[in-house]
This record gives sequence, C-alpha cells and structure tokens, in this order.
Amino acid sequence: MLAEKHAERIEKIFAKYPDKRSGVMALLYLAQEEYGWLSEEVLREVAELCDIDPTQVRSIAGFYTMYSEKPKGKFWLQVCTDLPCALRGADEFFSGLCAYLGLGERGGTTEDGLFTVEPVMCLAACDKAPMLQCNFHYHENLDLEKVKMLVEQWRAEAGQGDGAVG
Amino acid sequence: MTETITIIIDGQDYQVPRGMNLVDAAKMHGVDIPVFCHHPKLEPVGMCRMCLVELGSLAVNRETGQPERDENGQPVVRWFPKLQTACTQEASPGMAVRTDSAAVAQARYNVLEFLLTSHPLDCPICDKGGECPLQELTMAYGPGQSRFIYDDKMHLAKQIPLGDLICLDRERCIQCARCIRFCDEIVGDEVLAFHERGRRLQIITISDPPFDTKFSGNTTDICPVGALTTVDFRFGARPWELDEVASICPHCPVGCNISASTRLDRDFGGRKMIKRIMPRQNEAVNEIWICDKGRFGHHHSRSEERLTQPMIRRDEEWVPITWETAYREIAAQLARHGRESGFLAGASLSNEDLWELRKLARLTHADCSLGVWPATMGGIEQVTQVGVGVGTRLQDLGPDSAILVIASDLDEEAPIWWLQVKQAADRGAKVVAANGRATKLDQYATVALRYPYGEAVAALNSFAVIARRSNAIDEAFVAARAEGFAEFDASLKGARVPKPYAEAAQALLGAKDLVVFVGGEGVTLAQHGELMQAAANLLILTGHAGRANNGLIPVWPGANMQGALDMGFGPQATHDLIAQRPAMWIIAEADPVAEDARMAEVLVGAEFVALATQFMTPTAEKAHVLLPVQSFAEREGTFTNGLRRVQRFYMAQTPLEGTLPAWKVFAHISSSMPGGAKPRIAPGLVMRDITQHVLRYAEMSYPNLAHVEPQFPLVGGEDMYYGGTAYSNHGGLGVQWATNAEKEKYSLAVRPVDVARPRLDGLAVVPVRLLYDREPLFAPSSIMHQRVPAPYVELNVRDAEALGIAEGDAVMLTADDVQMAAEARVNSHAPAGTVLVPQRLGATPIPATLVECVVQKMEG
Ligand code: SF4
Ligand code: SF4
Ligand code: FES
Ligand code: FES
Repeated sequence: MLAEKHAERIEKIFAKYPDKRSGVMALLYLAQEEYGWLSEEVLREVAELCDIDPTQVRSIAGFYTMYSEKPKGKFWLQVCTDLPCALRGADEFFSGLCAYLGLGERGGTTEDGLFTVEPVMCLAACDKAPMLQCNFHYHENLDLEKVKMLVEQWRAEAGQGDGAVG
Repeated sequence: MTETITIIIDGQDYQVPRGMNLVDAAKMHGVDIPVFCHHPKLEPVGMCRMCLVELGSLAVNRETGQPERDENGQPVVRWFPKLQTACTQEASPGMAVRTDSAAVAQARYNVLEFLLTSHPLDCPICDKGGECPLQELTMAYGPGQSRFIYDDKMHLAKQIPLGDLICLDRERCIQCARCIRFCDEIVGDEVLAFHERGRRLQIITISDPPFDTKFSGNTTDICPVGALTTVDFRFGARPWELDEVASICPHCPVGCNISASTRLDRDFGGRKMIKRIMPRQNEAVNEIWICDKGRFGHHHSRSEERLTQPMIRRDEEWVPITWETAYREIAAQLARHGRESGFLAGASLSNEDLWELRKLARLTHADCSLGVWPATMGGIEQVTQVGVGVGTRLQDLGPDSAILVIASDLDEEAPIWWLQVKQAADRGAKVVAANGRATKLDQYATVALRYPYGEAVAALNSFAVIARRSNAIDEAFVAARAEGFAEFDASLKGARVPKPYAEAAQALLGAKDLVVFVGGEGVTLAQHGELMQAAANLLILTGHAGRANNGLIPVWPGANMQGALDMGFGPQATHDLIAQRPAMWIIAEADPVAEDARMAEVLVGAEFVALATQFMTPTAEKAHVLLPVQSFAEREGTFTNGLRRVQRFYMAQTPLEGTLPAWKVFAHISSSMPGGAKPRIAPGLVMRDITQHVLRYAEMSYPNLAHVEPQFPLVGGEDMYYGGTAYSNHGGLGVQWATNAEKEKYSLAVRPVDVARPRLDGLAVVPVRLLYDREPLFAPSSIMHQRVPAPYVELNVRDAEALGIAEGDAVMLTADDVQMAAEARVNSHAPAGTVLVPQRLGATPIPATLVECVVQKMEG
C-alpha cells in the first residue's frame, strides 16, 4: 500500500496543495513508479488518499499519456514519431527498434516483459530527433546502433544479458 | 433586480437582463440559437461550437460618447472577424448579434457534419429518436448527406450499464459533458467523467456502486442524444406514441411535478400504462429535476401483488365480497361501535381521500380521533403561523440567504430539497446542517453542527438566545406581530449556550432570508412540537416570516402529510388511539403493524379493522375487511407538499379492475350510514367541498390548481435541445396556502420551549429514514432493488468494541417489545451511545425514537 510505504512522500505532496484532491497527479506518478502501471485497484487507492471519487482519478489517468492503465515492460520506451521527428527518420528508427526487440510494426511489449515500445506525439525535443524517452528520461540524437546499445545496457541492468549488442 | 439593457439581435432591439447568458437572453425573446453543450441550468463550457454567431458591438464615437451612425443614420456595428460561441457570452450594453447570416448557417452545418462523422445514425432503434436534439438540429441546420466514409466510423461499445439504472451507448455520445457537469455542478456527486481524449473520449464511471447518485435519471433528460438511456424505458416505446399525463410524485414531501408518459400497451393487456416517469417543470418545486426514486418508483401501480378484490376474513380465510357488501358491513360496524372507532390515515392519501375519510369519521361521532401515520412529527400550528412564505423558490436562495436544516437527513428524506439547498450553498448561502450525526449536507454546510441526540430543542432554542444577545432581533416585526414576547424573552435570559451552538447561530444571523427545515430524526413526538416552536420562535424573533423565501419547512414523512394535517388528522390523535385501543379501526394506506411493535397487538385486540390498501401488508393480515384502493397513477387528486403547495395529479393509467379511489370508497361507506350524503361523482367536486369547509383551501378549486404560466428556462415541446426532455407544465403549478404571518390581522405566538433532554441510559435507538427502503409503494420497483440494503444497524466503534461486535456481524437488537435481526455496521457515523436503525428495511418493526435497546451478537 502506498500510504504505508511512502507515507513521507505522500505527506510532502499534500503539503504543496491547499486541498487533497490537488495532489492526485503527483500521487498517480508515485503509484505508477511503485506498481509500474495504474490498475483499477491502484486508481482506487489513490482516490482514497485524495478523498475523491475513483472515477475522477481514472479520468485523469486516461487523459494524460504519461500515465498507463495497462501493464508496461520494465523499460517503457516512447518513441516520438510526430512530423518533425519523422522528417529525421523517426519512422525507420521506430520500426528498426521494434524489429530488434522482436516486436510487431506497432510496437508492444516483449515476451520477457522487459520492454514496451510505443509511438507517441511530439515530446518537445524535435531538434534532437530521433529520440525516445525511457521511463520518462530522454535519450536524444539516436540512431539504430545507439539505441541497440542502450537496449543491451538496460538488459544488463535488469540482470539479463551482458550488455553487448547481439 | 438586475439592470435591463438593450442588445441587438438580427437587427432588432431586445431588452434583456445585464449579464444574462446570450443564448438564454435570445431564447427569452424567442430567438433560437441552437446548442448542444449549453444548458440553462449549467455553467457554460463552450465545448460543442453549435452556438456560433456573429458578434459585434455598437461603435461609439470617442469624442462625443455617442453611437456612431452611418450615412443612413443606422448605428455602426464593429463585428468580430470570426464567429463566437454565444453560450460563453454575457449580454452587455451595445452588444450586437447576427444569428441569421450565411456564415452562421455554414458554421452550424459544419459543426453538425463534424458531429455526424462518427455518429452511428441508429435513430430507428434509439430511445431518443423522435425527441433527440441531434436529430432535430440536423434536420434544421445540418447536411443531408455525409462526405465521410461509413466504414471509417469510430466503433465503440453500445451497451454499457452505468450502474443498474442507466445504460450508455458510447457511439452516440457527442461529448458535450452535460451529464458530467450535471453530476459535478448540480449534484456534487463526481461519479461520471471523460476518459482518454480526442475521438476516443468516453464517458466512464467506476464509483462504487457505479454511477452512485440519487439523481442519475436526470442525465438522460439533458443528454442531447441517445447516449444515456434509462434501463426502465430502454426499447420501451417511441416518444411520439406517448401520451403525457401530469402527475405528482407520491414518494416524499417535495412533491415533484412529474409527467407520466403513457400508451396503450401490450404488456398491460392493451390498457393505458405508464412507460416512464419524467420531470415536469415547476420552478417553484422541483425545477426540471426529479430523483431516481420518483423516476423509477412507479412500478407499484401495476404490481402483480396489488389487491383487486374487496375481501372479508371469515374463519381465518379471506373471502371475496362485493363492494356493496363491504360498504354495508363497515357502515354497520361503525354504527355499532360509534365513538369507539379510530381512524388512521397514511401520508400518501390524496386530500380528497382524507376529506371523505374525515366526513365518514364525523358521521360516526363528532369528535372521533383522526390519526395520521406515521405519527412522528407534529407542529402544524407552527406551520400555520410561519410556514415558508407564498412564492418561495428555493432556487432563489443565494448569497443573502441562510438555511438551517435540523434533525433531518435531507438527502435521504427529500432529495430535491437537498439538491436545492446544496446549490444555494454553492451560490453563497450560509447553511447550517444540524443533526446528531454527520449527513451528506455537511460537506456543503457553512457549519455542520453536532448535538447529542435528544438535545435538538435545546440546540435550536439557543439560536434564539444568541439572536437576542447579538441584537439580531427584528424589533419592529416583533413589536407589530409577536405575541407572548415578554415571557419568552425572560426564558432566554441567563441561558447557557455552548460555543458550537453559538457559532452555528452566528452563521445564520443577519441574512436577508432565512429558511428553516425541521425534520424528525432523533426527536420524540413530544419534543417535536417543541422543536417546531423553537424554529417558529427564531423565525418570528428575527423577522423571517410572512414573506417569500423565509419561514419554516417541515420535512414530513410522506408525500401528503401536510394535506393530512390540513384535513384535521394529527399525530397526537394516533398516540391517543393507541392508548385508548378503540374496538374498531378504519386504516387507510398505512402499514402501522410493519412499523410499530405495539400495533399488531392493538389491532388483534380490536373487534373490527377495515383497511384501505393496495397491498397485502402486515397490517392487512390483521384486518377484517380489505378495500383495494387505487394508486396515485390511476386516479385524479391533489397532494399538498411540504411548502404547502396544493398540486393536482391526473389519471395516468387504466385502473386495475376491481379497485376504486379511496375517496370514493369512504364516500360510499358514508352514504350507507344514516345521515350520509350521496357520494360525489368526481374528485373535483370533493375538492369543492373542501374549499367550502377548510378555510386555508378556499382558493384550491381544480381550475385554480390547474393554472399555468410561462416559466423560464423553456423546456419540452420544440425546445428539447435547449432544456432537455423534461416536460413543460400543462397540468398546473399548484397553489400555496398563505400562513398567518402573511396576514396582518394575526399575531404570531412565541413561547418558551421545553428544552429538557430525555435521560438516555445505555444504548438509545435513533430511527433514520432511507430514500431506498422497502415500503409498500416502493418495494415493487424491482429495478431499484440493488440499491436497497438488507436490514442493518449502525453502531459507534466504541460501543461495538464494548459489545464485542465487529463490522458485518449478525446482531439482534432488542428493545421493549421489539426484536430485530440485522447486520452491524461499525463506524463513527453513529454517535457513541446510539444505534442508528434505518426504517422499513425489513419485515419487523423497529423501536421508537430514543428507546433504550440491547444489541447482541448472534452466534453461528
Ligand atoms: S453521454 Fe450524452 S450528455 Fe454525456 S457527454 Fe455524451 S452526449 Fe453529452
Ligand atoms: S424528491 Fe421526492 S417528490 Fe421528488 S421525485 Fe424524489 S421522491 Fe419524488
Ligand atoms: S516531433 Fe518529435 S519531439 Fe517534437
Ligand atoms: S459551444 Fe455553445 S452550446 Fe456548445
């Protein structure tokens, strides 16, 4: 439970706002960090913390793409394929990455549950395309080779693989 | 009063209130600006763009300050280069609007084309078809054909139950957010919301239970498409087949005006049947809303369980008899028992029923006791004096008003009043919610005042003390109108007022308007008269009587308790009867055996009990003759609501064969008695008798009650897209009777009240009312069953711990002569030392108010 495990952080979040309901977005991030994704159960937990109806929490989780209501891989890779990035080859970059991870054309989650790849709209780093964000951290000026190295690094971090591009 | 200004619409000048929403202002003058997301009762959002108009303002010469004129002498208008949404504009001086230009027509055309890109166009099977704003506006302004590819339409789920009452079709939703805004703004139950965005935007609810609000049905009225439909009416009929009959909700003292949509129906043997209940506009009562009990609670009128045959008990068997036999038998018994007979009237009888019952009683003996059921609340004298003023509209209460709600859980007892008080609080009214426990109103209240149960009178009396001490007394009013002031004033001196009471009182004092709602929760009947007087004292002292939006509103148990009291029935008489135990009883539309443990024995001990009823209730099982009477739906009559508005209802449904209206039954019994007159042939004539005998009803002739006048906002008719499918009022707005405060010649009595608090030892029972219970007029609406909890009692954590009772335990509550099994709910909701016991959830009676009880855990 968030309330027990992160009591201090929750308190800090609430301290920032005039009322509890305003803390909902920060709490959703916290919950996502903790559980990896926002199941209905988790949404209810956040609702209880903020003292609002779970419907409101789900609405917020649904509106913002940075919240996920579906399970994600340990590494959640969001690749910008919007127009400016596309002009710098984001499409090929995206499909190359998918192919490398053995995923279909539209991305998805790898069988080992390690990676989720999905195309997203502009992430405001158009001048450093192609780019992606991994668990909300930006990796810019990429190409296929660079991203393969990153992938292997992440694999190694997760204790699977030796960090070498295969 | 808001200032009136001039705006120009399509070249014409119109006078409108400054600051009024432009769409509403235009509508007021019959100029239609089509809308989807705008609703006159909701805040504007400007989401749908249907209301685009050309907007400009009169050019003013800066030097002279005069409007500029062109060469023809016409005022010059400076137009915005782009179209504007009318629904987000407020009328201001010099505003000019064009709704009839080519650009506006094009905009409407485009918006509709856009909305239809993904609309399923399943009008032929859509419940809204025929009364659908999207249909109507498309016909009026939209394209005849789509340029979009049919196969590219967005496909979404078409049958999503939003809870057990409302069904959502996601494909039909045009994302106007009216339903969400209704829940958020008007009700405050934030249980609907949008999920995702863009084309994928969808309505969701994950509250527990889903769509958890008592007002869900209203969203189907204001949804401008068939996305939200009620499970009750789904695929039930086409709107154009329906015949609308004006009626009044029989379930609570608000007296919501409703419209019964009826048709001849196969499911009812080809007879006229209610297919749905819709709100009917009465801006002084329910505006355009009703609660879900009113909307879905009409099934009792056609229940299989209805009695349709007069019966007599012979050797413990029910034997059918003719009406004639029944009349003769009862008349003979009345003649035999004479003054040894008691009369008991339920709160859902019409005024006409009550009048005829009273006439019958008077034939028997001039001072036969006329009791009401339930006999929990008194105070008709105080209502007569300072009941809320004629012309009161709760929707007018705002920043200058104060509202006190005491001893009532308004949300459960009178939902639409709750809604109106909540909205008044939103508008800035000071609200004090005073009760022995927390209620839903607390979250909107300026002060949520907790007093120990039993101390309501003292709490309310202290408001008068504080008014006195802070010089909030309306000296002029008191001098002119109050009687007994000196003695009362003396009683206030030196009274000790606990700080929370003083703070609550301060919140109310000084407002221009003050309305006091008085309920009966945790108050014994003896105390209740004192509580009502304490309210009257406060209102008279502060001069809040005798004018609209000021005065007392009793939260009566039942739809026509006010009428029963007006017709001379009363709660004290009921208690006297129970003590006297007359040999003969005539009981009408009441089920005392199910509600009061003494009554079974009292009736078993009686020689003869005649019961007019719709159902075989526990009381019926103790009766000797059963008279199957008609529901509100099958006949004409009037109810008087808690604001003393007498309102007509009309015959909506073919009566079940074998049943009669109660008034007629009583009239026939009378005519079988010596000295009895011939029965009247129509309820309108009974009302004429009433107008001649009951002074306060002198104005209540049927034609007067049927009077209507235009109301704003416009709803129904052609204007469905604007206000929704609530019906405009053709059946009558009703008439309020005036209180003594409104008549100069009467003085108004203030007097010291008895603030003594009953000694409570051990655990005291506090019966509470729930909206969704198992009373006979509601239980047959099976569609609502999921909302009716199994019998439970609420215990405070401390008490529960001491008794070794945990949440969910099966317990036995024992008091005096009552034993009831229930599930325990353990919380901090019930104050320590009390057990909250909801009424009418189970088959056994519950103990009376503040009776001592024992709660034990049941083994196994
Ligand atoms: S369900 Fe109806 S009221 Fe609600 S957003 Fe959709 S169209 Fe509007
Ligand atoms: S608020 Fe009362 S009168 Fe109105 S619909 Fe509901 S139960 Fe009926
Ligand atoms: S378009 Fe890719 S970051 Fe802006
Ligand atoms: S934008 Fe004005 S009615 Fe919707």
